[in-house]
Amino acid sequence: MTQLNNGITLFFSLLIEAMPFLLIGVLFSSLLLLFVDEQKLLTVIPKNVVLAALAGSLMGFMFPVCECGNVPVARRLLSKGAPTAVAIGFLLAAPAVNPVVFWATWIAFRDQPEIVFLRLGFTLFIAVAIALIFSAQADMRPFLQDNLTRLMGSPQPAPVEPEVSPLLRSGTFLMQAPGQVLQLDAPPAQVMAQATTVQPPLVARLPLVVDNMVLELRELGAVLVIGSAIAAFVQVAIPREVILNLGQGPVTSILAMMVLALVVSICSTVDSFFALSFASTFTGGALLAFLVFGPMIDLKNIGLLLTVFKGRAIVYLFLLAAQLTFLLTLVMNLYTG
Amino acid sequence: MTSTPQANRSSRPAARRPVPWQALLDAAMLLLWGTMMLRFAVTGKLYLLLHPDYMWLAYLALALLLAMGIVRLGQVGLSYRQGRAVSFRSQEHIALLPRQLSVGLLIAIAIFGLIYTPRPFASETAFQRGITDVLGQTRSRPQQFSLGGTSGDRTIVDWVRTLNVYPEPDAYQGQTAKVTGFVTHIPGWPENMIMISRFVLTCCAADAYPVGLPVELPAGTAPPAADTWLAVEGRMQTTVLEGKRRLAIGSATLTEIPEPRTPYEY
Repeated sequence: MTQLNNGITLFFSLLIEAMPFLLIGVLFSSLLLLFVDEQKLLTVIPKNVVLAALAGSLMGFMFPVCECGNVPVARRLLSKGAPTAVAIGFLLAAPAVNPVVFWATWIAFRDQPEIVFLRLGFTLFIAVAIALIFSAQADMRPFLQDNLTRLMGSPQPAPVEPEVSPLLRSGTFLMQAPGQVLQLDAPPAQVMAQATTVQPPLVARLPLVVDNMVLELRELGAVLVIGSAIAAFVQVAIPREVILNLGQGPVTSILAMMVLALVVSICSTVDSFFALSFASTFTGGALLAFLVFGPMIDLKNIGLLLTVFKGRAIVYLFLLAAQLTFLLTLVMNLYTG
Repeated sequence: MTSTPQANRSSRPAARRPVPWQALLDAAMLLLWGTMMLRFAVTGKLYLLLHPDYMWLAYLALALLLAMGIVRLGQVGLSYRQGRAVSFRSQEHIALLPRQLSVGLLIAIAIFGLIYTPRPFASETAFQRGITDVLGQTRSRPQQFSLGGTSGDRTIVDWVRTLNVYPEPDAYQGQTAKVTGFVTHIPGWPENMIMISRFVLTCCAADAYPVGLPVELPAGTAPPAADTWLAVEGRMQTTVLEGKRRLAIGSATLTEIPEPRTPYEY
């Protein structure tokens, strides 16, 4: 009975501590969904592939979304012609490298600041590395879902020779405002983007923000409830010796936390509180593995990723992210623990 | 999503308007969550769940939840009176769990939270979590902490932090100790020894860890039941427990006290 009471108290403690961050997270993601124009953002992305990967990874500071919100944004980025490095960097890093998550991690682990900063560092390193690997592939199309490649249109033809006047282009055009034309046979997503540049007025957009907040809160709140229940259950129902044996080994603890991250699928805005409940029993490297790997890939996320990538690409992403996380956190366990 | 062609087209008699269940459920979910958190805040049970430093976040969340619930309800009321169906306009979102399941789960948890009263962790958990007067690897070890006043003002966690910096028990011999906490019985200890203990929080109940000091009961005192809250007053002495020299409170007077409003230390 005591166990049950403890479990429930723990469960509510996690929920109440995490709910404010979840609310702030959905508020930000809803505001940005309606107020930030990725098209404009893409024009300032550096051309160098390493810098582009880094820029993509750091874009989370402008789109503080957790791993449920980042897939739609990455999908929009790809469909609007973002370089692969930018989209992949954003996809992997944004859920962990953003101000809301940083703040939440700081509150949970202010006694172990190395966890807070290494979470940022490891995530950026892994995201940039994988973004570079993927951008070695010149044409991403075979890795992407068909409905997305249709939006992207066929590959851009080689640049037209510079001496030809920009006015002399072949294709079907619609006359827009003076000096502007809309190319109808351009890739569909670009046509859409050009045709709908007029944003609804501010007043009309505010109810949209509330709508989107409720929608995301409902979805992510339910996952948070399930995640907190699992955390509380593990804490009180599994004998402490079993957890300690698992949690103190430098290798087993990392593997256990990575599996947990994969299964629990808790939102990155609040996952540090989940990890915190394991702080006294698991190695620092294992906690970091959970905090770095979880936001990149988990069961919930795979469903979302399938809306962008084909299975083969997700397997590559998964394997690369898992191996890099494992290696980095193992080094940490062996040399600092 | 509940919109039907009829509903969009006209303001027919009220009976034909569809009830916007989905929007009502959303509003109920938000209001119930806000109320649940309000209840924890008003009854002081929030102290059992969170570190006081972060309570403002919980207050912010409960205000936001209630506000969103009221706005949602207002939207429903307005559009219902105008005979329009409530339309949900959100792009870009891909649902993972079925909508009804998410709402159902959240509403169920909120109702449960409205009925259930959280209880602070007690001796059984303290024992299971490894109660100790030594702070482990992952415990909060502040870079500096100040001990104001005399030794009699120190709480259990102050004593434990002091011991961590200078562990020799003889150094504290004869100092006055005056602490409050709950009773834990440690198996293997002599009959006349109990542990007076507290849980320490750094963020929320998820990271609560127990600390404690051994207390030597005066001769002839029956050991108090586990989980009894006591104020213990006595003098520090060195006692050998399980083959180790440990700091303990000797010649103690025990006074039973009610469970404090804030049972944790920080």
